Amino acid sequence: MGFFLETLMGGLMTGMLYSLVALGFVLIFKASGVFNFAQGAMVLFAALAMARFAEWFPQWLGFENKILANLLAFVVAGALMFAVAWLVERLVLRHLVNQDGAVLLMATLGITYFLDGAGQTLFGSDIYKIDIGMPKEPMFLFQSVFEGGVLVSQEDLYAAVIAALLVIALTLFFQKTSTGRALRAVADDHQAAQSIGIPLNRIWIIVWCVAGVVALVAGMIWGSKLGVQFSLTTVALRALPVVILGGLTSVPGAIIGGLIIGVGEKLSEIYIGPLVGGGIEIWFAYVLALVFLLFRPQGLFGEKIIDRV
Amino acid sequence: MNQKKIGDVILDVRNISLSFGGVKALTDISFDVREHEVRAIIGPNGAGKSSMLNCINGVYTPQSGTIAFRGRTFDHMDSHEVAEMGIARTFQNLALFKGMSVLDNIMTGRNLRMKSNILLQALRIGPAEREEVRHREFVEHIIDFLEIQAYRKTPVGQLPYGLQKRVDLGRALALEPQVLLLDEPMAGMNVEEKQDMCRFVLDVNDEFGTTIVLIEHDMGVVMDISDRVVVLDYGKKIGDGTPDEVRNNEEVISAYLGTSH
Repeated sequence: MGFFLETLMGGLMTGMLYSLVALGFVLIFKASGVFNFAQGAMVLFAALAMARFAEWFPQWLGFENKILANLLAFVVAGALMFAVAWLVERLVLRHLVNQDGAVLLMATLGITYFLDGAGQTLFGSDIYKIDIGMPKEPMFLFQSVFEGGVLVSQEDLYAAVIAALLVIALTLFFQKTSTGRALRAVADDHQAAQSIGIPLNRIWIIVWCVAGVVALVAGMIWGSKLGVQFSLTTVALRALPVVILGGLTSVPGAIIGGLIIGVGEKLSEIYIGPLVGGGIEIWFAYVLALVFLLFRPQGLFGEKIIDRV
Repeated sequence: MNQKKIGDVILDVRNISLSFGGVKALTDISFDVREHEVRAIIGPNGAGKSSMLNCINGVYTPQSGTIAFRGRTFDHMDSHEVAEMGIARTFQNLALFKGMSVLDNIMTGRNLRMKSNILLQALRIGPAEREEVRHREFVEHIIDFLEIQAYRKTPVGQLPYGLQKRVDLGRALALEPQVLLLDEPMAGMNVEEKQDMCRFVLDVNDEFGTTIVLIEHDMGVVMDISDRVVVLDYGKKIGDGTPDEVRNNEEVISAYLGTSH
């Protein structure tokens, strides 16, 4: 029982991190109807910026305080993501108002390559580490309930809490504020949104800024776990099945989708893996996504796709 | 025709020309719209009616000419700025937010007027709460007016066409516009739906005093409800006046029925 719980917890934590990346996809999709291929690149870019600035600031300004360095790096990396959002709107999206979804998707594909290249040119392409001082040593929970208790990584626990807070804030933003409503409106119909006085350009900048911050937080947490390297962009690929599962338009869907996939991966690896020779963890998410695409393409919580003929 | 006081010129369109590449959509169009009137724009298919509306609405920027709203000229403006000035529109091909409920769709029309702090809104406290309630009340009033109470929470994508058209109108009304641009509000409707829509348009005009500019193909409807009519053909203005004047205009007759050679 203790072992099962351990696996479950491990799955939930990983899932929370998938959710964090998936959130970025959902945000931009909700607000512009664009599937933002560049989310993974944004995560890498933000993480690189964060890692390198945390390294550079103490050198440039001559101080040693690590917390201050991280804080400064976070703020500057955040500002950099805002600049990216502004540039994306200015140089790319503004010229593609009212275009087909596929056109916008291709545009984000272009942004992906640009960000990948620019990030590594500016910040280097080695493996860097982000050390935000999250406790590495695992801890034991429920020791009184089970013999030996449940082993939990503290780092994962912190990460999950940060992710959860971010999610709550974003849900409130989308569901309760007039800006959130405007974002949902823009996703449905650019022209109609403009005709009722919603400034499209400002909305796009806002949402790319938010997605940039989400990417930064995701990059920071993943980066501190795995190190900042190019393979971080593949985390975004992991988030793809998550959004398919949860629904492209649903913030809670991204979370629950992430948790299901995180838990599913771990449990299936441990309990079904031995029967088929292991390796389930790698493809489990994609197969699940495939099943969803076949039987419930809008995902668990997505808006039902309605087409009147 | 009921007695209503038609006011001063509220919208003044002067010498508008618009072309797409070599295609001239509009050539030197001028007309005015007076406060509280129902002004129709008619013409055969491809006459440039929707293009005209899109110019007023800021979707297209005409190559030459000016449009003045309450004496204030604007020659280049984005749609959302036009909306802020008090000009709302509906669409020929429905452009509703399909996944959102009827209520949310109409609420988006109130967005411009929601001023409270985003943080307060998110937490629904204090002034933000009161503001939301106030706007919700206004929207409920519109929903009652358009008789769509039963569909409040239905995603608009699921509603039949005629009702979607009403939601489109409702969303435009939520802006409390001074001028309402209607692009074929009755296209594709049956007789009964058309009658309902006519009633709504006239009621909006009467009760809220909203100036209405509408494009419509159904001549019966146009002649019944409008005060003055502009006729376009191949991007040129060929007639302008009361329904009776327009009906007897030679050029208009030949545009619609063709001339014998």
